[in-house]
Amino acid sequence: MKNRKIVFGILGIIILGSILFILNLFVGSVTVPLDDIFKVLLKENTDNTLNVIIFNYRLPQALTALLAGAALAVAGLLMQTLFRNPLADPSMLGISSGASLGVGIVILLTGAISGTAVSSFGWWSTIGVSLAAFIGAVMVLFVMLAFSSRMKDMTTLIIIGLMIAYLAGSITDILKFFSLKEDIHAFVIWGMGSFSGVGTSKMPIFATSIIIGLFFTFFLSKNLNILLLGEMYAENLGLNIRKNSVIIILVSGYLTAIVTAYCGPIAFVGLAMPHIARFLFKSSDHRLLIPATMLIGMDMALICNLIARMPGFDGNLPVNAVTAFIGAPIVISVILKSRK
Amino acid sequence: MMKEILKTKSLSIGYEGKTVVSDINVTLNEGDIIALVGPNGAGKSTLFKTFSTHIKPVGGTIELFGKDLMAIAPKERAKLLGIVLTERPDDMFMKVYDVVAAGRYPYTGMFGKLSENDENEIKVSLELVGVNHLIDRVFNTLSDGEKQKVMIAKAIAQNTPVIMLDEPTAFLDYPSKIELFSLLKRLAKEQHKAILFSSHDLELLLRYTDNLWIIAKNKPFAAGQSSELLKNGVIKEYFGLKDADNQFLLNEIC
Repeated sequence: MKNRKIVFGILGIIILGSILFILNLFVGSVTVPLDDIFKVLLKENTDNTLNVIIFNYRLPQALTALLAGAALAVAGLLMQTLFRNPLADPSMLGISSGASLGVGIVILLTGAISGTAVSSFGWWSTIGVSLAAFIGAVMVLFVMLAFSSRMKDMTTLIIIGLMIAYLAGSITDILKFFSLKEDIHAFVIWGMGSFSGVGTSKMPIFATSIIIGLFFTFFLSKNLNILLLGEMYAENLGLNIRKNSVIIILVSGYLTAIVTAYCGPIAFVGLAMPHIARFLFKSSDHRLLIPATMLIGMDMALICNLIARMPGFDGNLPVNAVTAFIGAPIVISVILKSRK
Repeated sequence: MMKEILKTKSLSIGYEGKTVVSDINVTLNEGDIIALVGPNGAGKSTLFKTFSTHIKPVGGTIELFGKDLMAIAPKERAKLLGIVLTERPDDMFMKVYDVVAAGRYPYTGMFGKLSENDENEIKVSLELVGVNHLIDRVFNTLSDGEKQKVMIAKAIAQNTPVIMLDEPTAFLDYPSKIELFSLLKRLAKEQHKAILFSSHDLELLLRYTDNLWIIAKNKPFAAGQSSELLKNGVIKEYFGLKDADNQFLLNEIC
C-alpha cells in the first residue's frame, strides 16, 4: 500500500515532466504545432527552419533545464541534511556567490589584463568559466564547513553565509569597475540565469558532468539517513563525520558549480524542491528523497523555463525571476508548517 | 567470574590537554548496570564523549574487550558500543522505524538495504522496550518518555555488548523513570549487556542501582556499591550532604 503510493507519486512526477518537456519544445516566440514537433523528432520534417528551432534551440534548452533542475535540487537536499537546516541551499550559504566571484575574476580580469574580451577565446573561455565557478564555489563551501564544525547555531552559520555572499559580491563589483564593457555585459547576462547557454555544442560536456555528479549522490543515501540522527549518533554508528562532510560538500559543490558555470546562479530550485519531495512523500529516507528531489527539480526547471519563454517575453525574462516567484511562496509555507 | 568488557587504566579525560578528571581506574563487566553521578561540570559528559571516542583521552588507556578503544576501526566499534544521548533527531518526517533502523547501519551494505534479519532485529528491539505500537509514528510527535524508549531501542538494534546513556532520566516523569530503571535492569540481566548511564536522581539511583561511579572536581574518581558508598560516607562527602540528611538517607535506604 505504502509502496504503491510512492510508485504513483513518482510516476505522476515523470508524466508531468514529460508533458512539460513537450510543452517546452512547443511554446516560444514561434509556436510550433504539436504534429510538427513529432514530425521533427521523428525526422520526417522537411521544413529546415523548424528543424533548427527545435533541434538547435529548444531541445538543448529543455535538456539543460532538466539536468540543471535535477542537479540544483539534489544539491540543496544534500546541504539541508548535512547542515540539518531546512534553509540551507547552495545559494544561501554563499556558494553561488563564490561561483560568481570565480566567474567574475575570469571574465572580468582577463579582459582587464589582456585587453581582449574573454568571449573571444571561444571554447577555452567556457572551460575557464566552469573551472572558475567550481573553484569559487568549493572555496566558499570549505569556509562554511570550517565555521559549521565550530558552531552549533545554524542561524549564525546562515548569517556568515550571507556575509560571505556580500563580500564576494562587493569584490565582484570592484572587479567590474576595472573591466571592459563587453565583459561586464557578458557577466551580467550570465548572472541573470538562463538555460539557453549550453546549446548543442557544449551539451555533451555539460550532460556528462551533471550525470556523473547525480550518479554519485545515490551512494550518499545511507550516510545521509543516519546524519538525520545528529552527528554524535552518526559517529557512534561508525560514520567518519569529517570524511563524509567533505564528500557531501564536494558533490553538492560540484553540481552547483557546473550548473552555475553554464546557466548562471539559479536561486530557489535547490532550496524549495527538497521540501516539496519531503511533503509529497512524507519521508526522510534519502533512498527515496534523492530520486524524488531530482525529478521534482526537473519538473520545476521545465516550468520556469516555459514561463520565462512564454510568447511576449521573447526569452528575455531571466530564469531567476521565475524561480524566485515560484520558490519563495513554497519556502514561506514550509517554514510556517514546520513552526507549528 | 564476570566477563570484563571495558576497563580503564589511569585514564585522564579532558579537552585539548586540559585535564578535567585524572587517574580513573574502573571496570565494566557483562551484566553490570552502573550509574555515573556527580555535580554539573564535574566531567560526566566528558567521560561519555571519551568513551564514545568523540574526544581523545588526555592520558591513560581504555580497553574494550582487551583492545585499545581508540585503535578499533569505527565500523567495528559501532558493533561493540552503542550510545543514547539527550540529543534527539528533529526531522519532520522521520518515523520511529527509521530511527531504530539507523541502529542497523553498521550491519548493512552500501545502500543501507535492510535484510530480513535486520527487520526482525528492529521489531524485537521495539518490543523489548515496549513501543512496537509506535513503529509507524513520526518520531518528532512522540512524548519525551516515548522518544527515550525509541532511542534505547535504536541502541538495542545496534546489538552492542555495551550501552551508554547520557542522562536518560532527565526529561521523564516519575513513573517513566521507574520504568526506565526496570528496563535497563532487564537489559543487563536478560540480554547480558553492560550498561553505564549518568543521572542526577541520586535518591533513585541509591534505591535501584547496585553500583555507582562518582565523579567530582578536585576529588579522586570513586567507584563502588551504592550501599557501601553511602555507609562509608563517600556520598556524604562528594555531594556535600549535612550529617542529619545523610543519616536520613541511610535510614531510608539501607
